[in-house]
Amino acid sequence: MSGQSQRRKFLKTAAATSAALAFPYIRTSYAAGSLAVAFWDHWVPGANNTLTKLCQDWAKKEKVDIKIDYITSQGNKDQLTIVAEAQARSGHDILQHPAWFAQTYAKQLEPVDDVMNPLIKKYGKVASAAEFLAKSKGHWIAVPAVTGTQVKPPLVRLDLFKKVGIDILEMYPVNKEPTKAADKWNWELMLSAAEKLKKEGHPIGLGFGQTTDSIDWVGAMFHSFGADMVNEKGDILIKKNDAVKQVLEYAQRLAAVMPQDVFAWDDASNNKYIISGQGSMIMNPPSAYAVAKRDNPDIAKHLYEIPYPTGPKGRFAGYLPYLWGTWNFSKNKSAAKSLLSHLLQRESVEQLVTASIGYDVPSFESMRDFKVWSEVEPPKGVVYHYPPRKDQTTWVACAPAPASMAQQMYTQAIMTKMIARCTTGGDSINKTIDWAASELEGYQRS
Amino acid sequence: MRRHGGLRRFARRKSTIAFLMALPLIALIAALVVYPTLYAIYLAMLNKSLERFVGFSNFTFLFTRETFWMVVKQSCIFAISAVIFKALIGFCVAHFVHNVPAKGQRKWRGMLLIPWVIPPAMSTLGWFWLLDPSYSAFNWLFVRLGIPSVSWLGDPNWARFSVILVNVWYGAPFFLIMYLAALKSVPEQLYEAAAIDGANWWQKIWYVTLPMMRNIISITVLFSLIVTFANFDIVRILTSGGPIDRTHVFATWAFLVGINGGDIALGAAVSLFMFPILAVAAYFILRDISRRGNEA
Amino acid sequence: MSAVLQAPVVPKTRSMKRDKRRALFWSYFFLIVFVIFFLTPPIYMFITSLKSSAEVGAVTNPWWVYHPTLENYKALIFSEDYQTFFLNSAMVSVIVVIVTMLISIPAAFALARMKFWGSSTLAMGVFLTYLIPETLLFIPLFKIFAWVNETFDIQLINHWWVCAIIYPTLTVPFCTWIMIGYFASIPKELDEAALIDGAGYLQMLTKIFIPVALPGIIAATIFAFTVSWADFLYPLAFTTSADQMLLPTGIYSTLIKGDVYAWGQIMTACLLGALPPLLIYAFLMDYYIAGLTAGATKG
Repeated sequence: MSGQSQRRKFLKTAAATSAALAFPYIRTSYAAGSLAVAFWDHWVPGANNTLTKLCQDWAKKEKVDIKIDYITSQGNKDQLTIVAEAQARSGHDILQHPAWFAQTYAKQLEPVDDVMNPLIKKYGKVASAAEFLAKSKGHWIAVPAVTGTQVKPPLVRLDLFKKVGIDILEMYPVNKEPTKAADKWNWELMLSAAEKLKKEGHPIGLGFGQTTDSIDWVGAMFHSFGADMVNEKGDILIKKNDAVKQVLEYAQRLAAVMPQDVFAWDDASNNKYIISGQGSMIMNPPSAYAVAKRDNPDIAKHLYEIPYPTGPKGRFAGYLPYLWGTWNFSKNKSAAKSLLSHLLQRESVEQLVTASIGYDVPSFESMRDFKVWSEVEPPKGVVYHYPPRKDQTTWVACAPAPASMAQQMYTQAIMTKMIARCTTGGDSINKTIDWAASELEGYQRS
Repeated sequence: MRRHGGLRRFARRKSTIAFLMALPLIALIAALVVYPTLYAIYLAMLNKSLERFVGFSNFTFLFTRETFWMVVKQSCIFAISAVIFKALIGFCVAHFVHNVPAKGQRKWRGMLLIPWVIPPAMSTLGWFWLLDPSYSAFNWLFVRLGIPSVSWLGDPNWARFSVILVNVWYGAPFFLIMYLAALKSVPEQLYEAAAIDGANWWQKIWYVTLPMMRNIISITVLFSLIVTFANFDIVRILTSGGPIDRTHVFATWAFLVGINGGDIALGAAVSLFMFPILAVAAYFILRDISRRGNEA
Repeated sequence: MSAVLQAPVVPKTRSMKRDKRRALFWSYFFLIVFVIFFLTPPIYMFITSLKSSAEVGAVTNPWWVYHPTLENYKALIFSEDYQTFFLNSAMVSVIVVIVTMLISIPAAFALARMKFWGSSTLAMGVFLTYLIPETLLFIPLFKIFAWVNETFDIQLINHWWVCAIIYPTLTVPFCTWIMIGYFASIPKELDEAALIDGAGYLQMLTKIFIPVALPGIIAATIFAFTVSWADFLYPLAFTTSADQMLLPTGIYSTLIKGDVYAWGQIMTACLLGALPPLLIYAFLMDYYIAGLTAGATKG
């Protein structure tokens, strides 16, 4: 009830003020008040500080008492927090949701159309995958977060790839559009490089674990082979779709040329693997590079982000959008909305993206032109090819399954488990598919 | 007659005082154990969105899940093998400590009890680092000894081994301490009598020590079985149930399903399955307690 | 077996001596083996705690420290987060110990000495609460939190003290159990004498039972402290902000920074975190052991 009246008041004032100025009504009617927010704990060293500063500047101006928490995704602590607060119906006013979570808790999230619509008017379209995840029944239930929204493309060692005869820079030149040569960058080429790199003593290391780093890239690979397992309506296609077999066969060959423990990797293992100099390639945003630059600069100067290999159905980039949502039981929704709107202004976004050395991918497509992506070095152009451009489509793992199923597929990591089963687990591909089909049936539970 | 009434009133007063003294305990258990347990049973009978009563269908749903049966199997393997090894190691080491001269025993006992004293969440992090995929200190030794390195937490079977190993490491000292206390309480005359009868070392254990310790062994094993069966921290920190769910036990799987997966009802149902197995343990403990009560 | 029994008797004393020496040798041998097994992780944690992140990240001999440094210890002792975890854990543990004693001593006295209707059932039931795993309880506890939040407007989630409310469920049953055992061992003549002297039940408890059962109370205190210092599941589920976390979850959720080689710091944090129980145990080992073995040896 109070939420509704707040919103009405909000709409009135919002209509009255110019879109550029964010919600001045707070100062008049709801001065002060307190706000507890929880953001994703950023992997790029120092990136949290910029967000903290932005929030505190806002809080000072609006006279709001703000408390900021950074919650790590390591050990899925962030997911845990969402569920805990949804169950206890109390906690933070703004909370960061990865991938499918906002859809799952749509009923408990406050609609934020009044934040998003003015922004869209101002900055244009939001990336369709992010929009899909942030909208429920025609309403925005969360805003696409700036921090943390990422793709997980190959992060390669230029020197080691050159050693096995692949000149990355020829395909993806420094600070320039990909060349024609990039067309041959497909999953087969990657595998043949991986075989040679193993002989060199620097195997590539792509996680087959059960955390987001592994799930996101494997999801993109599945789709690029055409191996969708569930359609939009929730029908289970896995047994009819031959591409599933093909992608599993490919994964078997891939697993054979990677370290044995990729099945136990978490979101940190791949980073450590490349920073230590053992690995020649991982699938990761530039956080691993950022840490290497600080802790192991000799390795960092050979690192380079490139787009995904292409597959039978095209080039898809594993995409993990984060969303900022406000609980409907929050006690200060108006302040929360005001802060969200402040953080999504172009100026704020640019500061955040720059602080993350380009790690954060803005959801407003008009904002993908910041200078930071061509400025980070050494080596020159290391993150230029990181943000997804025309040649790749961003893909959220487990799409196009309906949210309730996709959420289960995502948290249970069904795709990486399938790969693990038919490799280290010792099962046949057919048996693996039978198992997955039965799991998927279980996820249909409502 | 009057005296009688006074006594009765006194007795009533005594029991009233006693009840009041026990009241905080009763309140605590009722509010934070009994009520939540009943609530959990109720939750386990709701649908996923907790809006509809579905009776036993969560349980029957679980019966159709392959992963559920795997978790049942793994919990049993995990608890039983860990407890057996803990009991064996505890028993043997207790004897070794008992064998050495009395004045050195304190020192040995002190060192051997350390794993039990460190909070398991912290020592497991130490193990986690010892078994780390790329930096395992054991593998470093193995490579130098010419043994192929082991993927401790990446290979399903090794991961199971590692989880059990850490649990044994943590729990064995408890058995050691219990057995040592029991060994001390076996009258020396019994061994002397056995020696006169010409019993060898093994026979002394079999005919003297074991019968004397039977009670303690059964209590310790039961207690440890309950705790190990419901263990959460070691698996959670070491493997989070992976790879491919091959190290999940009831507690971690219930946590994954109920919390990470957001299916509170199903999570509660999974946890409830620990009951039948624990109830068997309960039966034995109850029997033991009543026996103890009769002696007192 | 019969062969053993028919063994010649004459050289027995000498062979017995030799047997004894051999048994002693093997006892020491295996004790050393097991001490190595039991102490490897803490020692390795200590080795790692002396390393800088650079040395942890470099692939050198993990069992040796080439450039020992106390950086990790300094960093943690002066880290605000870590101090908070420590303080929170300390406060929770102290509160839990006090609450536990206040609940379990009178209850144990009542159950051991003053029978009332249902008291023997209760004595049994108390111990049975251990059969209900934490994993089952935390889910309904969330619902109770939501109810408290809606009815009293008190937010229970994400506050360190919520653990102080819930931990007694883990400590009280066992402590009551220990205390019942101790009180039961006090001769009944003592309280009869006290009653004749005109002492009330409360006086009887404070003047006679508590002093006599003091070793048991110390054992129970240590037990309650170590349990509340070590618990992991409840704080993991119930606290999220760094300033509300307790030690075990604080280390687990904030120090593991993924790709940074903070293992030196993590190991230091674990060792420092294990220090309070280790210290208590070092000084009060015999009470600690008495507490552990309390129920068993009397059965």
